[in-house]
Amino acid sequence: MVNFAALMRDHWVNIFVPLGFVIGIYMDSAQDQKLTAFRNKSALYSRELKPGGEVTWK
Amino acid sequence: MLKILIPTLMLFPTIWFSPAKWLWTTSIAQSLVIALASLSWLKWSSETGWSSSNLYLATDPLSTPLLVLTCWLLPLMVLASQNHISPEPLNRQRTYISLLVSLQMFLILAFGATEIIMFYIMFEATLLPTLIIITRWGNQTERLNAGTYFLFYTLAGSLPLLVALLLLQNDSGTLSMFTLQYTQPMHLLTWGNKLWWAACLLAFLVKMPVYGVHLWLPKAHVEAPIAGSMILAAVLLKLGGYGMMRMMVMLDPLTKELAYPFIVLALWGIIMTGSICLRQTDLKSLIAYSSVGHMGLVAGGILIQTPWGFTGAIILMIAHGLASSALFCLANTSYERTHSRTMLLARGMQMILPLMTTWWFVASLANLALPPLPNLMGELMIITSMFNWSHWTLLLTGLGTLITASYSLYLFLMTQRGPLPSHIIALEPTHTREHLLITLHLIPIILLILKPELMWGWCF
Repeated sequence: MVNFAALMRDHWVNIFVPLGFVIGIYMDSAQDQKLTAFRNKSALYSRELKPGGEVTWK
Repeated sequence: MLKILIPTLMLFPTIWFSPAKWLWTTSIAQSLVIALASLSWLKWSSETGWSSSNLYLATDPLSTPLLVLTCWLLPLMVLASQNHISPEPLNRQRTYISLLVSLQMFLILAFGATEIIMFYIMFEATLLPTLIIITRWGNQTERLNAGTYFLFYTLAGSLPLLVALLLLQNDSGTLSMFTLQYTQPMHLLTWGNKLWWAACLLAFLVKMPVYGVHLWLPKAHVEAPIAGSMILAAVLLKLGGYGMMRMMVMLDPLTKELAYPFIVLALWGIIMTGSICLRQTDLKSLIAYSSVGHMGLVAGGILIQTPWGFTGAIILMIAHGLASSALFCLANTSYERTHSRTMLLARGMQMILPLMTTWWFVASLANLALPPLPNLMGELMIITSMFNWSHWTLLLTGLGTLITASYSLYLFLMTQRGPLPSHIIALEPTHTREHLLITLHLIPIILLILKPELMWGWCF
């Protein structure tokens, strides 16, 4: 237990960069969703997906 | 984009809160993790030409290799500086690493920017950390002079660019790279238009630097500490090439007549700087001048404005970034032992540090563009597209490659072979750290032989 406390005291700073990755990936995907919100939603130009295709464009 | 940028920001608290004992280990390990994560940019899945975009930041095939190179360089810079910075006071060490991290942040923002004015601001912002690194951590008093040269050459070159960009914004109503490529082609007929063309490129020609406005570069390289030299040679010069390629897309239709004098200057620079290298006594200065020569070739490839020219330019930029940074690291290992940059004073190193000689050999070969290294791919593509434009250029480019081979041989023979001077019999042995540093430079160069399309830019 003491060892764990010492480990935490010395190495707690290592949490910052992984935390940055989590925040960054979350914000990236949120932005992606925002920018593709209207993909294939147009009444005029929307089309059927090709077989096996997930989206119309990426 | 943010998945790399925010971890980079998080490096600041990591550096400032980590205990003194773990400072270097932590910063190297964390930045290496970021560098490895940045490799995910190379997996290209977009069909639109741009990827991982939010409204202000995006990557495209042109900027991706440069972004990855930027991220790759940070752990290497920290690794290279460890030996000579760690005896300093703790806060100075932290400041130094923070400056390097801030440089990476500005460079990511510069290469990733989709607004040209944001690119411009970040282009200028990279000057600050570099200037502080050169003038605060350089070794000699001449560093102040070098800092002045560095700052004022770049600033004076880029002020016309600001005016030109404001004018462009006024004319076209946008500075976004997404839309600018679809605006009406401009016909550069009047003198004012031609001046505008020159203003758009001058900043980048100074930054590259093309022969004639290159005087700041050898000074800055010689006076900067190792990390400063590495980032200058590997990434900051490439900002110039990147900016030129971005502007060239807007400056169409092909501005032939205007580009001629600059192409001639760039090609002439290859010969001139190569000749300067042949009679150079200062190790770092030689590597710096060889950078000017290679960048001349890159500038020529970009100004010729063909797909091959562009692709060759970006290949050569990446390959030269890794090779010249490796050469600077090697120069630094010898400097840290002999405390002199004069090549005559440190000969015959093969006798003492044989493995280092192997690294010198490989790095010199990469610098002189030995097949099948990517340096050769880049040079060949540029030389071919030049040759297509005018057969006479082969005289200059061919002579240039010959001189490059000669001074690379001279560099290798001068530092590694020959008699060992009696005053350096007892040298410190090499560290594992130094071997790791050079290996991390050479592995990407060698791996890029196998998959060069990663840096083919728009042509892939």
